[in-house]
Amino acid sequence: MDEAQLKKIMENMETPEADQNAQKRAVNVAMSEFQDYQNKKSKKFQGFSFFSRLMGNSNSKDRRNTMEQRSHKKLLQGTAMLVAGVSLFALPIAFEQMSQTVGTGVTVDSVQLKKVHFETDVDVAQAPQKSKPKELNRSRNENIVVADMAFEAEESVVEGLSALSAPATAPVGIVSMKEGKKAKGRMKAQQGVVAGFAEGSRASSLMIAPPDIMPAPSYKDVGRDKFEDFKINPIKLVGAEPVSTFSVDVDTASYSFMRRQLNNGVLPQKDAVRVEELINYFDYNYPMPESREQPFKPTVSITPSPWAEGKKLMHIGIKGFDIQGDRPKSNLVFLLDTSGSMNSPDKLPLVKNSLKMMLDNMNANDTISIVVYAGSAGTVLEPTKAREKRKIIAALDRLSAGGSTAGAAGINLAYQLAEENFDEEAVNRVILATDGDFNVGITNNEELKDFVERKRKTGIFLSVLGFGQGNYNDHMMQTLAQNGNGVAAYIDNLNEARKVLVEEATSSLFTIAKDVKIQVEFNPKAVSEYRLIGYETRALNREDFNNDKVDAGDIGAGHTVTAIYEFTPVGSENVSVDPLRYGEVEEKAVMTNMNSEYAFLKMRYKLPKESKSKFITTPITDENDITGVFFEDPTILHDIDFATAVAGFGQILKGGQYTGDFTYDDVIKLAQSSKGEDNFGYRAEFINLVRLAKSASDMQPR
Amino acid sequence: MDDPEDKQLIATARSGDAKAFEDLVNKYYGDMFKMAFKWCGNKNDAEDITQDACIKLARGLDSFKGNSAFTSWLYRLVINAGKDWYKKQSRHPSNPDELEIVPAKSKSEDQLYAKQVLEAVYELPEGEKDALILVMSEGLSHKEAGKVLGCKESTVSWRIHEARKKLSAQFEKEQSYG
Repeated sequence: MDEAQLKKIMENMETPEADQNAQKRAVNVAMSEFQDYQNKKSKKFQGFSFFSRLMGNSNSKDRRNTMEQRSHKKLLQGTAMLVAGVSLFALPIAFEQMSQTVGTGVTVDSVQLKKVHFETDVDVAQAPQKSKPKELNRSRNENIVVADMAFEAEESVVEGLSALSAPATAPVGIVSMKEGKKAKGRMKAQQGVVAGFAEGSRASSLMIAPPDIMPAPSYKDVGRDKFEDFKINPIKLVGAEPVSTFSVDVDTASYSFMRRQLNNGVLPQKDAVRVEELINYFDYNYPMPESREQPFKPTVSITPSPWAEGKKLMHIGIKGFDIQGDRPKSNLVFLLDTSGSMNSPDKLPLVKNSLKMMLDNMNANDTISIVVYAGSAGTVLEPTKAREKRKIIAALDRLSAGGSTAGAAGINLAYQLAEENFDEEAVNRVILATDGDFNVGITNNEELKDFVERKRKTGIFLSVLGFGQGNYNDHMMQTLAQNGNGVAAYIDNLNEARKVLVEEATSSLFTIAKDVKIQVEFNPKAVSEYRLIGYETRALNREDFNNDKVDAGDIGAGHTVTAIYEFTPVGSENVSVDPLRYGEVEEKAVMTNMNSEYAFLKMRYKLPKESKSKFITTPITDENDITGVFFEDPTILHDIDFATAVAGFGQILKGGQYTGDFTYDDVIKLAQSSKGEDNFGYRAEFINLVRLAKSASDMQPR
Repeated sequence: MDDPEDKQLIATARSGDAKAFEDLVNKYYGDMFKMAFKWCGNKNDAEDITQDACIKLARGLDSFKGNSAFTSWLYRLVINAGKDWYKKQSRHPSNPDELEIVPAKSKSEDQLYAKQVLEAVYELPEGEKDALILVMSEGLSHKEAGKVLGCKESTVSWRIHEARKKLSAQFEKEQSYG
């Protein structure tokens, strides 16, 4: 071939148009880098000699320049080894965590490590520029060869370092969240090692203030997490709207997401807080139903409202029947997102570890398949019995992340596998693990929803496990889980994975009742106004209650669901809505012997394989008022108070429109006094989160 | 090669003006992306590489001395960003499965041939491929390409010679069978 021909071919090859969003992203990232760099340029390094004094040989001879290239990585490694060295004592804690024991108290936030990543190359386009900070780093490097342990994971070491430098160089508010899709591929070491570093570097950052010549974190891509926007439930007048209808919600994603944000020192977005999910994150000891035929039983208690005098709270607690011992067989298809956006330690590696943990608790006869999707979808594990553990683990270990996200194709394939392997007797479920970033194929929420909804009717349910942050699409997850008769959980660390996949595996996998709807009719003679706390995204129309075609939430074995109404009894002075001057528009005929009834509770549910709903009703009267009643076993009282504290907290996070001057401190006090046994430390962790929220909100500009 | 407006923009950005820097990045993003795409042959990677290159630009603008054309300086920046990126990913560029390079539309057999040639180009050793892209596709002189790649003019000429020899051998043989 001649040169002209080759030149013509190469000149004319087509290049795609640059993507607008990618450009915006790149410009933003570059801008923040630019600002950092400019700030640093203007900074004077004082006390520089302090560090040089430590060196045996300052060694600035020219021959070292030839090593420059090599030393880029090394110097970072070295600095990180300082970190590792200083914090050696912290490692055992982290390792313990890795070995999946119940690390109470300690929450390893493996997140922390990868969120900020900085460019290792200061020297661009190979123009050798000798910047002082670099030399400084180098000198430190030389001093710390001592800590020369076999950490081969260069990249992850860099991550560890960035985690260390983050708290010092950026205001806490910003540090947290950056890692979007573009922070791909920074990780090649095992998540475990990284978690170790993260823990180590966090611990050490408390002890030594890192000098501010450390490279600053570069990305601050905040706020690409997507949440459904919703308004909080307003106060309703019983006279105008006596009936309130909603669907149960046993998801807990909102709680873990909030925890992650708070652990990073920022308050969660208001839309990310769904009060009912916070409340339902905890397990409450409501009395259990006796048989599987009536799969659950409501427990209603009325207490005074701690944040509004003269108002009362009505707790509706539901405990699902717990199948003990006789776990049904399960046919599970794991649908794992392995797109590039999953490539960070709190995503794919966490998914793998979570699944391995779950595997330990499965019955030998359960069937597992694994489907992955990235640019395209494929089966990586044909249906395999859980007893062939080695094969399954090998398949998991082979996974790596890269490419775009064709979520829809993956869902198709997963359902296809589940259908091929469908077992009448078993629980047939697709479990989707993703960060929700579907960017290829069906990307429209509505279309995906319709798809999942059709599949649900075939008896295959869908659960969604959310991972990661920065690009987390909560809205998509909720839509999928709600329409697929499943649970949406958000997994931010191994501890949460254990809670969701091991401890609560029975409740999240084995549905005992589906389409559970609750309707409360208030008695206008006894109650003047009411407000449902949370459940905004689960509201149903009054007429939907009796319509069996309308989908609603499901309850798994042993699940507890709590709903709290705040209401104002007639005669209370604290009414939010003034009475009408010209009297009642319409006089309702209520029989006198019902005047002691506050409300009437109706619940509808279907047994998992039935399509006709069953009905439970119970009146709510003075007798449900537990104010001043003596309980021999205080557990139930504690549970109710604790749920109240969580509800108060959730509402404060959402702006505290109705909680008056109830403060974080009040929440802490109430939760402290009602902590109860708290076997796994979840409630203690909650109290800690409230403290974090308090300090985060103190730091925010008002 | 650089117009005075750009020179002004670069100077303002170097003095620390964020707005000027933003304009500069926006102005050249397209070119950088195109280069990155040609270099790695796949859109996703190209986006990542371009982003990394933009970050490098933020820190490295100071080191642009103005003694070469800004665009060839950018080429070098992009190629270095790309190399670093793949190093970090611990994989190699232009995995043939991921190649999304498409030749210009033309008669179908011509197009097929062009596609085969391009695929072969991306299988060449990296230095040869880089030289071909800069010289053949971007129209740089051997000297300019040498500056971008950080090697001598003669090295570029040699690499191109080598590359053409390989391509010729491959395609002439195939044609003679055909």
